Amino acid sequence: MTKPGEAKLSHLFQPGQIGKFKTKNLVKYGACCVSNYNGRDGTITPRELARVRVIAGTGCGMITNQGAYPDPLGEGKSYFRQVAIHDDKFLPQFETIARYIHDAGAVAFQQILHAGRYGGIDLGYCVQPSVVPQTLPHFRPPRELTKAQIKVVIEQHADAARRAIRAGFDGTEITSFMGYLLANFNSRFTNQRTDEYGGSVENRGRFMRELIDAIKQATPDNPLSVRLNGAELMDRWGGNTQDESFELMQQAVDCGVEMISVTVGWQEAPESSFGRDVEPGYWNFLSAKAKKMFPNVLVAFGNRLPDPAMANDCIREGVFDYWEVCRPLLADPELIHKAAEDRMEEVRPCIGSLNCLSRLFRDLPYTCTMNPMLGHEVEPEYHVTEAKEKKRIMVIGAGPAGMEAAITARKRGHTVTVFEKADKIGGNLAAYASNDLARPVDLHSVIDYYAVMAKKLGVEVRLNTEANAKFMRSVLHEYDVCIVAAGARTDMAVFRYLENSELLIDALEVAHGRVKPGKRVVMIGGGMIGLTISEFLAKAGHEVTVIEQEKRIGGDIMPTFKWRHTAWVDELGIQTVTLAHLIKVSKEGATVKTAKGEEKFIPCDSVIVSSPRKANHDLFYEFQWMVDELHGGGDATVPRGLDAAIHEGYRLGVRI
Amino acid sequence: MITTTETEQIFGDIALWQSMLDRQRELFVEMEAGSRIGFVSREASGILPGKRLEGVQVAVEVPMLAWQVENGGMSAMIERFAGMASTRVDLLLVADEEAVATMRNELGGNMLKTIKRLIRHGNIMFFVFKNKAQLQDAGYEDFLDSLGLAFLGSCR
Repeated sequence: MTKPGEAKLSHLFQPGQIGKFKTKNLVKYGACCVSNYNGRDGTITPRELARVRVIAGTGCGMITNQGAYPDPLGEGKSYFRQVAIHDDKFLPQFETIARYIHDAGAVAFQQILHAGRYGGIDLGYCVQPSVVPQTLPHFRPPRELTKAQIKVVIEQHADAARRAIRAGFDGTEITSFMGYLLANFNSRFTNQRTDEYGGSVENRGRFMRELIDAIKQATPDNPLSVRLNGAELMDRWGGNTQDESFELMQQAVDCGVEMISVTVGWQEAPESSFGRDVEPGYWNFLSAKAKKMFPNVLVAFGNRLPDPAMANDCIREGVFDYWEVCRPLLADPELIHKAAEDRMEEVRPCIGSLNCLSRLFRDLPYTCTMNPMLGHEVEPEYHVTEAKEKKRIMVIGAGPAGMEAAITARKRGHTVTVFEKADKIGGNLAAYASNDLARPVDLHSVIDYYAVMAKKLGVEVRLNTEANAKFMRSVLHEYDVCIVAAGARTDMAVFRYLENSELLIDALEVAHGRVKPGKRVVMIGGGMIGLTISEFLAKAGHEVTVIEQEKRIGGDIMPTFKWRHTAWVDELGIQTVTLAHLIKVSKEGATVKTAKGEEKFIPCDSVIVSSPRKANHDLFYEFQWMVDELHGGGDATVPRGLDAAIHEGYRLGVRI
Repeated sequence: MITTTETEQIFGDIALWQSMLDRQRELFVEMEAGSRIGFVSREASGILPGKRLEGVQVAVEVPMLAWQVENGGMSAMIERFAGMASTRVDLLLVADEEAVATMRNELGGNMLKTIKRLIRHGNIMFFVFKNKAQLQDAGYEDFLDSLGLAFLGSCR
């Protein structure tokens, strides 16, 4: 029977076919990034298998297992704990993964990932077509592949493909995303060879054509997908133009691949491809171009396309054949099922924070801001199970930590009431979302999700209710558990000894829109909050100077988004003074003292304080003798960011 | 043989570069003695966008503005650049004609901010010749951060 969402999104949920394999819908789980959950030697761990089981159950018609490196030396290995597929000893676990995917009714693909320029993580060097030095210090110095080595690499890929099919996978995928070995040969930025593998587009594509031929010969009955850049975003540095990128796609099509997966950008590209500052659908034109050029080959696409409704429209309009989706499924593995059941308002949204990638570049396993369960599937303690003893829980604060704790505890059968002093939920996140220059709608969607889930699950939310000792006395013995998730505040007390300290404005008041600062603003604190408000004010025409005690601004911002803030600071003409602190304030301006001991007067109309922050944990002391169990979570314990708030809220919810 | 005139035509007065580096002294205090950063002109070196990065492999002798940490500060000097394979720098910045002219004209101002902007706009390419740990150990983190360069991977 057709589900309501399937009828609505009839193009997305129609069956498809790749090679001889039928897919139940046109959703491809993309191998967007590796998990880093595995052994240092490439063996697949129970943690990975538990995670893959969740992926298998996402409801996608086609599932691409994360990229495995194909060579025993590890020149193709890009991530600390990446999976390997260069030996038969790995077969049993790949067999398990293929079985999980098939049991869930999906077609199983295995990606083979030789990272080239970004590889060799354990070796201290990487291999490339030519010795083009790195532009990011994270990666290793290059060595040039000889022609004999190229042949070996190609044979290793063919062996890996053969092995994947033996393990039970239906097809394989090779990838240039985002700047891996295939891309290195294709791109004139990294391919400087003067032999038959370099020079013209025809020659640069030779490695790819030989790779495709070898895999096709090794696995003649199984489809092959190739991930290729529609845009490298490296053209300013001598990389391929879009026309060249599509010429290379044409070569792959001519070699007989069954699917072209269109991607965007390199890791070292100087601009965004799928961060939160990129509008969903922005890159769809690249896929549309590919589909127009190659009408007889399947085209998959999904870069910065998190919405099933948009994907459905794209399929209807011939923009692509398969919606390739990954990060939104990290945030909510139930996304496709919820779309099928027309319950999209219940989807935990992917907000494009790129926490997943920030972690990978610290050589850590990936996690997701929105999904605290990701990476913990193997641990029973993380699963939502029915509570043995049903309790009455009060949650103080309707920010992300409090709401996450509330809905998780409610799912386990507890009775939950949230008390919020404001007239709406969201806490300070709502205020900062309103000041966000990237995409406020992404951050607001987090709050909308909690509102929907609280209502659906029957969490009572009492707004305009401030929790204090008097209030606690009025509800004494009504609750078994109290969770203090009252967030953090600006620690204005630090400045109380300054003359005229009453002139200082709390950044929270500005963020909430309760105070309008003057034209010329000094912002004390250049962390995420200070910068977000400063950028918003500068864009609105204020002249802003940021004062930061540390050496650098943005110290608490994720690496994948820090560049965006520093670029905004420059573009908006925000002045910054680092290694400095406020020593005087007056109606005329602020005086700061630098690390050298110099005093500097900055004329301004308003001095806003965003740092330091202080946890709102006063309530712990107030309540400790008034309730059986008392817990704290989120910024109310230590001021941090959104991911810590959500993750702590969840951990409280699953254990009480 | 590279002449002073030839060098100054590209980079301007070397004394002004030295003054600029002296003004930014704090940025380099944590850098190890011997740490080196090079600037070459994209046009002169043959490292051209849209064509081949010939300077990567083909030895072309052109002037290179080198910054070197010595005596507790950063010194500016002119050297020969004969291709990336033989250059002895930790970080190489390759500036196009517009970038070179902009830098020459803004030597009296906040040059690092100018360089950061030129990198962001694609006028200056940069290459690293040491890995993350080596650069961290050599005290490069503040300097790279001031130029807006992602110290870690920047998949975005």
